Amino acid sequence: MNRVRKNPELTRRHFLRAAGGASVALPLLSSLRAGAAAEDFPKRLVLMYTPNGVVPEAWWPRNVTSESSWELNTIHQPLASFKDRLLFLGGVDLKVTDVGPGGLHQKGIGGLFTGQQLQSGDLFVDGCGQRAGWANGISVDQQVAKKIGVGTPITSLELGVRATENDVQGRIAYAGPGAPLPPMNDPSEVFQRLFSGFGQNTDELAELRARRRSVLDTVQAQFKSVSGRVSSADQQKLEAHLTLVRDLENRMAATNNGSTACVAPAVPARLDPNIEDDMPVIAGLHLDMLATAFACDLTRVASFQISTSLNHIRYPWLDSLGEGHALSHMGPSDSNAFRELVARQTWHSQLLANFLTRLSQIPEGSGTVLDNTLVLWGNEVAEGNTHAHENIPFITAGGGWHFRTGRSLQYTSASHNDLLVSVLNALGVEATSFGQADLCRGPLPNLV
Amino acid sequence: MAPLALLTRRQYDATIADLMADDSQPSSSFPAENQVAGFNNNTEVHIANPLLVEQFMNAAEGIASRAVAAGVDKLAPCAGTSTAEHAQCGASFVASFGKRAFRRPLTSDEAQAFNTLFAGLNATRGYSAAVELTIQAALQSPQFLYRVDSTRAATPETGAVPLDAYQLASRLSYFLTGSMPDEALFGAADAGALLSSAEIETQARRLLETSRARSMVRDFNQQWLQLEQLSGLARNPPQGLTDVRGIGDDYRESLLRFMDQAFWEHGDLKSLFLSPTTFVNARLGSVLGLAGPETGFAPVSDAPGSVGLLSQPGLMAMLAHSDQSGPVQRGVFVRQRLLCLDVPPPPPGLNPVAPDPAPGLTTRERFRVHTEAVACAGCHKLIDGTGFGFEQYDELGRYRTEEYGLPVDASGEMLGSGETSVDGPFDGVEELSTRLASSSRVERCLATNWYRYAMGRVETEADGCSLRDVEQKFTASGGQFKELLVAVTLSEAFRYRPALSGDM
Repeated sequence: MNRVRKNPELTRRHFLRAAGGASVALPLLSSLRAGAAAEDFPKRLVLMYTPNGVVPEAWWPRNVTSESSWELNTIHQPLASFKDRLLFLGGVDLKVTDVGPGGLHQKGIGGLFTGQQLQSGDLFVDGCGQRAGWANGISVDQQVAKKIGVGTPITSLELGVRATENDVQGRIAYAGPGAPLPPMNDPSEVFQRLFSGFGQNTDELAELRARRRSVLDTVQAQFKSVSGRVSSADQQKLEAHLTLVRDLENRMAATNNGSTACVAPAVPARLDPNIEDDMPVIAGLHLDMLATAFACDLTRVASFQISTSLNHIRYPWLDSLGEGHALSHMGPSDSNAFRELVARQTWHSQLLANFLTRLSQIPEGSGTVLDNTLVLWGNEVAEGNTHAHENIPFITAGGGWHFRTGRSLQYTSASHNDLLVSVLNALGVEATSFGQADLCRGPLPNLV
Repeated sequence: MAPLALLTRRQYDATIADLMADDSQPSSSFPAENQVAGFNNNTEVHIANPLLVEQFMNAAEGIASRAVAAGVDKLAPCAGTSTAEHAQCGASFVASFGKRAFRRPLTSDEAQAFNTLFAGLNATRGYSAAVELTIQAALQSPQFLYRVDSTRAATPETGAVPLDAYQLASRLSYFLTGSMPDEALFGAADAGALLSSAEIETQARRLLETSRARSMVRDFNQQWLQLEQLSGLARNPPQGLTDVRGIGDDYRESLLRFMDQAFWEHGDLKSLFLSPTTFVNARLGSVLGLAGPETGFAPVSDAPGSVGLLSQPGLMAMLAHSDQSGPVQRGVFVRQRLLCLDVPPPPPGLNPVAPDPAPGLTTRERFRVHTEAVACAGCHKLIDGTGFGFEQYDELGRYRTEEYGLPVDASGEMLGSGETSVDGPFDGVEELSTRLASSSRVERCLATNWYRYAMGRVETEADGCSLRDVEQKFTASGGQFKELLVAVTLSEAFRYRPALSGDM
């Protein structure tokens, strides 16, 4: 049971202590800005990533007779009640992977949300001996966060479920070229970060801020003491670090004076993010907390990844004991592998459906938070056994303020960079190009 | 290059334990470091990110608050009572604490900045808060979070700059103990006594006898062997066991104990490959069919099939699939981790698509497709041949002589190692281990891995001389691990840094 605090002054340090109960409580929420005028509602973006391709024949819509007349395939049955919120985007390719260094999974995951090639170099060597560095640019979520994340306590939230591969194969979000953002895999840490400060009163909060300001001011001044004594590459590292300290100080000013209740979920039990049996609980906790963070306007931009490319994970709760990447390589003749892959991908859809349900239960004005949220879901390859970078399984959910949803669209060899441009535009970022410029022709046609 | 090195989680925790007597391991909330070639202290990719910087702040606040709660008297004793007297005490706290936190005496600018902070806080919030917030600021400052190389002048003839005594103290301590310099190192640095080879060697040998050196060796082994793969290891429970949750941690501890014994008791490369000891606890004992102790781990000598590192249950279980052995993983391990040979990249433009494998084939038959299909053969003939030689160890690391009632075929073949004494057909892990135990390529590869760990980066051409020097000393010692580590500390790359434009 959760207590509701009236008119909380919210910061990331704010926390409404749940009065006991270890269950994953789903408190009733209403958006912080429930009373605001429609145009004032914050827009939110979620990038979702699942690895190793899909089973196309169970994934793409069936019985498509026109862009608005189609049926969900097996994998997307959990999303049935959100069919009119979805966009299926057929024929969109990761053209950015056509050239440049790296293995097919590496290039795919690096380019998926950045629209960039990988940097050359030999930092990372994949199983086939391919070599590459990090992706060579900012990812679309971070570009959006620069515009809409400013002024929220957390500029963006990166969440992972057993995303424990700490190299190019495991990163989807980038602050800039060669600057990947690590995902948080442990729900208790996410909880701490989002809600541990709830409950402080205004005076305590003001004092905390003042103390932090004097500390961080001194810290910032210290960077000068070091930067004159290191190489230019190291100076850049220090400069980047200093900027992050500055951002941290600026973010302390983020205060949202809510007019309605904002309730933290129950404290999650300690889980081991490495244990695959716990993945469903962890995924559920992550997405519930993300929904709450949106409702409380703690953040507006997030990414959510299930594991990493080339993972070896089993899904025992689905009775699927094949190992992720190896399983994805099983061809059509292996009916057991087919069953396991469809079960896994259906479970991914279920996660998205649960998240959308949660957002649709949070009133915001005359609608819900879902009306002001866009999810882009992608994969680093189209199909595990072919490694194809054509016809990548892309779906959007929500974004109805900008996209005409409820359709299944078929493009012809479109560049996914243009899809990323469309996402930027949906979130109010003016752009005709994103990522590698020669692959951009402006936003994807026929979306708006 | 001798780049700026950001503390890893492990270094952060050890440093906080030594600096603050706080062993709460505050880095547990930090994001994992990015990794290169298995190592998480690689200075090129272990860099600041927003989450990490935020957690540095949270950790610093927690540490400072615990320190003050434990008693300001101990941290920053002060006899005086007036604000002015307190500010005086603050200045001596800044000097003494600052020196330990930054691992060298503060510059006058630094002392002034922290004294100003302290005096201001002391006047507005009192002595205790001033101590607390000064600690917070120090622990978020780059001089604490990074190891920074020196300001000494370059020697014009080499273009290399000798590190000063404090920097050498930090290099030695972070390499050999994974933490800040201890009192003896500070003492030696204060006396300017760390600049000769003899003194460095004395300190290195002393540090290798500390308990922190033992955890450092474990850290190296975890990274060299990439044991993070054992976290959450998923295996079907063998007969008679219902719960294998967390068994990867058992395997890791077993393997680390074997490695500890090889390093600290036997001490040389040969025993690493040939020692017949296995460490088991009760659960591993029942998995492996060995008598395990009721609590903790105990060594078992001469268990069937037990011959050195390559037969270790933890390694074999890690290099396997959840339901069968892993010839590919095992072949790749030998090639990459033990011989430092990369798998050659596939020909340009080739998309390696595995053929659709029909179910119902044996392991060898299923994998044969790798070496028969032209697209795969280039890579896999280098890998699988070695991996098949491990077939006597199943996915739980159990030794077996039969599979499905048929005798296990453990014939393998080493190819392209660049060493004639290593290449060629072999039968089983024992024969392979015997070859690797006296391979100079293995010796060089281990030296290279220690060098990467010590320097926090992958070697470049400029490291050629230093690295060769280390390898030669390792070989000359008969493959003694401690001699290898001492040799690294005496290498030029360890004691100098390249000149910067501002040095001359």
